[in-house]
Amino acid sequence: MNTLRFTAGRPAVEITRVAPRLWHALDDDRVTGRAEATTRPDGRVFLSVDAWHRSVFDQLVRTMLTTLPEPLHTVVDETDHELLAAWREAGLTIRRREWEYVVPTDPRVTGPALPPEGVTLVPAGTAEDGPLRELDRVVRAEVEATVGWQEMPAEVLVRPGDTIIDPAKYAVAAEAGEYVGLVRVVQVTRLPRIGLVAVRTARRRRGIARALLVHSLGALHEAGIERASAEVNEANEAATALFEGLGARRANSTLELVRHGR
Amino acid sequence: MAGKGGIEVEGTVVECLRDARFKVELSNGHHVLAHISGKIRKNYIKIVPYDRVLVELSPYDLTRGRILFRYRN
Repeated sequence: MNTLRFTAGRPAVEITRVAPRLWHALDDDRVTGRAEATTRPDGRVFLSVDAWHRSVFDQLVRTMLTTLPEPLHTVVDETDHELLAAWREAGLTIRRREWEYVVPTDPRVTGPALPPEGVTLVPAGTAEDGPLRELDRVVRAEVEATVGWQEMPAEVLVRPGDTIIDPAKYAVAAEAGEYVGLVRVVQVTRLPRIGLVAVRTARRRRGIARALLVHSLGALHEAGIERASAEVNEANEAATALFEGLGARRANSTLELVRHGR
Repeated sequence: MAGKGGIEVEGTVVECLRDARFKVELSNGHHVLAHISGKIRKNYIKIVPYDRVLVELSPYDLTRGRILFRYRN
């Protein structure tokens, strides 16, 4: 079986713009390549290109780069060497790396879920809706005022209005009558994903995030699930220490690439 | 003018390989080597063994494909 990403050869294709931000590569009226640009809630434009041949990939990328205003971004699995090389040759450079961790759920590995004194943990599905949404708004405002949304993965980007879609997915930490931290665990497939861990700035460095995580992981373990996944920005030392302290191991990495405006 | 799309087949991921490739067993029992589509990658969707997926087969090589969609369990 051929394990190369791109098939050899240079098919003659016609590049057609089928929508303002969508292009097709047509080979004898069959779509053999697609290129799309989408704008994230933070305003950044991300590109995706699918093609069976490298020459078609290059044609689609060239078309987008000459049409769209920069900066332009894309995301690549770091182990996909051919795709990474193709984007780099198109002039994109690595902006940041995000590690994908596999996190054990077994309390014998993660340790006990001991919140600091005065803090109580509210299990997923029992958090009050109003205070949860207020905490979400506060946490997002704090992110915007500090590291900024560009350091966050797509799913924690700020969106207009409320960002809590399903309150039942959140476990929270409460202290002195208010919610001060949250963790969201989403189980779409067999591998649950820790989508967000956040503690209010003034309440950090006390072990609240760790207690929330251990608590949520323990609930998964009780349900017979042995592992969960989480993504951590390489530059986020606190989050890296938090997950590695729970026995999480790095399984993969995703690179965000950018081509800056000139 | 929009052209015809590729052949799309449902399958199950049986193995995660190196270089971001996946071995997928199609509903007809055949196996293909697939990578993930740019849209899946852009949305940080993770693919793991036993995931049910929709695969577009390469018109140039029917042993190769591209994962377009991951179904919910």
